[in-house]
Amino acid sequence: MIPVLELQNLSVDLPLGGFLTRGGLPILQDVTLSVGRGESVALVGESGSGKTTLARAVMGLQAISGGAVRFDGKAVAGRDGFARLRRDAAMMFQDATASLSPRLTVGYLVTEAFRIHRQPLPDPARTARELLATVGLPPAIAHRYPHELSGGQARRVGVARALALRPRLVIADEPTAGLDVSVQAEVLNLMADLRRDMGLAYLIITHNLAVVRHVADRIVVLYLGRVVEEGPTAEVFAAPAHPYTASLIAAEPKPDPRKRRADLAIRGEVPSILRRPKGCEFHTRCPLARDVCRLTAPDLRPTTSGRLARCHFADQHQE
Amino acid sequence: MSFVVDPALPARRGIGRALLADPMGLAGLVIVVTFVAMALLAPWIAPYDPIALDVKAKFLTPSAAHWAGTDHLGRDLLSRIIWGARLALGIAITSVGIAGVIGLVLGLVAGYGPRWLDSGLVLVFDSLSSLPMIFFALAVITVLGPGTLTLILVIVLVSFPAYARLIRTQTLTLAGADYILAERAMGARPGRIIFRHLLPNVVGPLVILICMDIPVVIMLEAGLSYLNLGVKPPSPSWGNILAEGYTSLRQAPHVVIVAGVPLVLATLGFTFLGEGLRDVLDPRGAGRRWA
Repeated sequence: MIPVLELQNLSVDLPLGGFLTRGGLPILQDVTLSVGRGESVALVGESGSGKTTLARAVMGLQAISGGAVRFDGKAVAGRDGFARLRRDAAMMFQDATASLSPRLTVGYLVTEAFRIHRQPLPDPARTARELLATVGLPPAIAHRYPHELSGGQARRVGVARALALRPRLVIADEPTAGLDVSVQAEVLNLMADLRRDMGLAYLIITHNLAVVRHVADRIVVLYLGRVVEEGPTAEVFAAPAHPYTASLIAAEPKPDPRKRRADLAIRGEVPSILRRPKGCEFHTRCPLARDVCRLTAPDLRPTTSGRLARCHFADQHQE
Repeated sequence: MSFVVDPALPARRGIGRALLADPMGLAGLVIVVTFVAMALLAPWIAPYDPIALDVKAKFLTPSAAHWAGTDHLGRDLLSRIIWGARLALGIAITSVGIAGVIGLVLGLVAGYGPRWLDSGLVLVFDSLSSLPMIFFALAVITVLGPGTLTLILVIVLVSFPAYARLIRTQTLTLAGADYILAERAMGARPGRIIFRHLLPNVVGPLVILICMDIPVVIMLEAGLSYLNLGVKPPSPSWGNILAEGYTSLRQAPHVVIVAGVPLVLATLGFTFLGEGLRDVLDPRGAGRRWA
């Protein structure tokens, strides 16, 4: 079956310097991933790992410098390609309130996709009510302005906006950012319900591993703009093949603080992308780094358990 | 000059009330409303025909029959002032309105459009605003001849670049806002983004700037008319009344005084209103009234 979204060796460079100096700063390097129909894939990594850039590149908000984006098996290119992608895929932004145009009412905002893509909208008020009902908001919200919404309401409006044209893929950038825990759970449950009811595929960008466990079928771990591990969520959590993944999982707050693995704790800061470490880019922070890691960069290759990992010792340190 | 209007503060309904609570804004509002009413109702409230001559009644000082006295041709000054308000506000509001629309559209296009278009437009804005206003006005009037339309054209040409630049700056800061990215991600085309999402969020500061420019334009009109380069006599422009009164300053000083008072009041009124609006719409600037 053709995946909904495929990224092939996607690279994004941030342009550097003036008009005489060419070249750029690589933000994403050779990212290959796919999201199947109805599948939920989580993209995780620390701040600065390129997660948000990836989402923007997919939606055409960020110029790509290499590789290809394929939607429904067709390469996305040109005005028509992006118009189709933007109709059949939707993006939810990290800051839900800031991503709503401030001078327009919620009623207008949730039905705007119909107007943009010239879809029939015989009764805007009714469509708005229905969409708001889908995300569990009362109809009266339609008359409010974005600054009159709470964080959770704004997030739900964002979901309603994304769902307006019944997309097949939703890219959600930190869907739980800025929400308190009970509202986080509500939003995640809502997203899970909608996925079941509408057959949506999700690409969820987050650094919150609790979210990943809750909603993702598969997980892709980014480090400095490269995929370092990919595999089914349960397997990755049970036995991470890359020490970075292991460190992320170890760093997650645990109900019992004594169970935290101090030996796997991540050290130091993310290296600057201006000065990428030689060899394996993670060796500066890796608890398991050896001499070979400082010299040779590992490739992303299958492990014995059938996942992908970018580590020389992926098969050895799985416990 | 930079204003950023926070959409959250205050809510739209609150603007009027906040303006009324500010004594200066309230004074400005009252003066402006009075002048606008004078201008609109001129044919009904002016006691005499503003250009009707009555040579026997020249240089009358204020009296019950002529509240503001008469000029060297015996024309009723109150009527001329009232009709003058129509002329002054008519020219000021028309020209600043046209300049505002041009500045708004060009500023939005420069700020959101392609880079080359932005560079070209900024070049135009900078060239126009580098010209000294009075000399530019004199040059245009010399070529086209004095008159109301020339005056409006001059005012539009000298004022729209400042508006366009204000709007361009605002647009540039908003172009990267999340909601603009979100609209692009939904497939919104540039026209929709510019007019439905950027315009309502950049127009507030322009309204303030325009309001504060109206007195400047009133002064410019009066000044050029005073120099016989604006509205042609016998039309009752305040500048014309002043110019005519000046020649008879020793005989009848009341003519100049009577023509000067509305000019001062109108200028003050629009300035107060503009500053009141600015304080209401941009709370961060409050307290720096004369800065």
